[in-house]
Amino acid sequence: MAIDALGLHDIDAFYGDSHILQKVSFALGEGRLLGLLGRNGAGKSTCMNVVVGLLPARGGTVEVFGGDITRLPPESISARGIALVPQGRRIFKSLTVRENLMVAARPPDPGSRHAPWTSETVFAMFPRLAERKHQLAAHLSGGEQQMLAIGRALMANPRVLLMDEPSEGLAPQIVADVMATIRKLKESGLSIVLVEQNPRLVFDVADDIAILNGGRVAVVSTPAELTRGGIDLTQHLGVY
Amino acid sequence: MMTQLTSAQAVILAINSFAFGGLLFLLSAGFSLIFGLMRIPNLMHGSFFMLGAYFGVSLLDWGVNFWVAALLSGLAMAVIGGIIERFLLRRLEGQVLPQVLLTLGFAFIIADICLMVWTGDPWQPTAPPSLRGAVQAFGLFFPLYRLAILAVAVAVAIALWIMVDWTRLGAMIRAGVDDPPIARVVGIKVSQLFTLIFCLGAALAAFAGVMGAPFLSVYPGLDFEMLPLALIVVILGGTGSLLGALVGSFLLGFLYNFGQAMFPDLAYVILFLPMLLVLVLRPQGLFGRVVA
Repeated sequence: MAIDALGLHDIDAFYGDSHILQKVSFALGEGRLLGLLGRNGAGKSTCMNVVVGLLPARGGTVEVFGGDITRLPPESISARGIALVPQGRRIFKSLTVRENLMVAARPPDPGSRHAPWTSETVFAMFPRLAERKHQLAAHLSGGEQQMLAIGRALMANPRVLLMDEPSEGLAPQIVADVMATIRKLKESGLSIVLVEQNPRLVFDVADDIAILNGGRVAVVSTPAELTRGGIDLTQHLGVY
Repeated sequence: MMTQLTSAQAVILAINSFAFGGLLFLLSAGFSLIFGLMRIPNLMHGSFFMLGAYFGVSLLDWGVNFWVAALLSGLAMAVIGGIIERFLLRRLEGQVLPQVLLTLGFAFIIADICLMVWTGDPWQPTAPPSLRGAVQAFGLFFPLYRLAILAVAVAVAIALWIMVDWTRLGAMIRAGVDDPPIARVVGIKVSQLFTLIFCLGAALAAFAGVMGAPFLSVYPGLDFEMLPLALIVVILGGTGSLLGALVGSFLLGFLYNFGQAMFPDLAYVILFLPMLLVLVLRPQGLFGRVVA
């Protein structure tokens, strides 16, 4: 069996006394795209925070290509090849567009098969950012900030890309652009976790689907199986 | 109450103001960075200045070259500051009152140690031989050493500005201030960068202490004379702003010198009144950013 790009095994996580994640397990295969679905408050972002080391898990393990990263600080996890496009984008607003990319730059692993990401390749992918590279990031539109957040994550030449609700708060046309970008990244062979509230956005790009409900994994399946019916999505996702 | 000045006196006072302003910039640049970036109110910054000055006078006493002594003293203080930050202040991250008490406590400890080691007598080393004397221009004499302090301060200001605004390291520091958790997720070693800033601030204060020794001399109490001045500079200029620290330093340099000469009875009013006005009318300082 091939080693998973990312694996969560029986993760327990708390905010204060509230037990947010309860024995959460799921796996992302290399080169695949996992759609992580769930309502507001289901624990999706908490999962991402545990993976990148912002919230220490109280139980369970997180593995990246078979290596345990559970107890590592965020900067070491980044060095292991995990990059996050955070919820709410969280670009560095007092830095210019170019500086936002520059601070995240990391050379790719020597063994990497992919062409490395540099500010040039990011600007080639997002020409709008290239036009604004000397502007402060605070002055970008929402869509441009999202592109910058994606570009910043790519600058670390990650092996696993986590995207936390990249469509949130964007106009439909911009959402379509972002989804097209995600499809391109997937075709380049990157392993991706895409967190979303809206299953329709995820179903046509994802290889696998995991649905969180109340801090537990409720469903692990594929888009084909889920669209065929059999599982009551409204029960886990509410009205969508 | 007001003392009239002749124009020659005014020129001399102006030169002294620039020199003192330069010294204040070296002292408060580090204070401003530490306070603005790490949010640590470092009440031992004046102690770094004094202890650095004492290190300097001892090194000079052993025959070390003036500039080497200033650099070595800065280096020693960087190590001491780094240890205090890494092992003590780091445990109090985000807790302002404990940080105030810890740094204040250290200020008293350092004052006592200095009194024990260097006694209560003032030390006044001489300026480096090449900078003694004065240059003559426009019929006036300009003391060379004070001009040198000004030149060093301007050079340090430019170097710091380039580091913070134009290098990747500076961008990483600013990213770490903008959003520390996400900066770490992006791979920036925020905690090491902050230690570096603290060491740099301590080193600059000590360097300033040695630079200032030939014209301020070094004596017990120098620490708590300098600390409020650094505070005023940073409040006037705005925390975390190097330009603010630079402008604030020269402003204070002039207020201090002209105030003492012209209104000797009101010296403290003239120093602290502008600070109060800025606090009330423009709390972010003249050049500070408004924190959203």
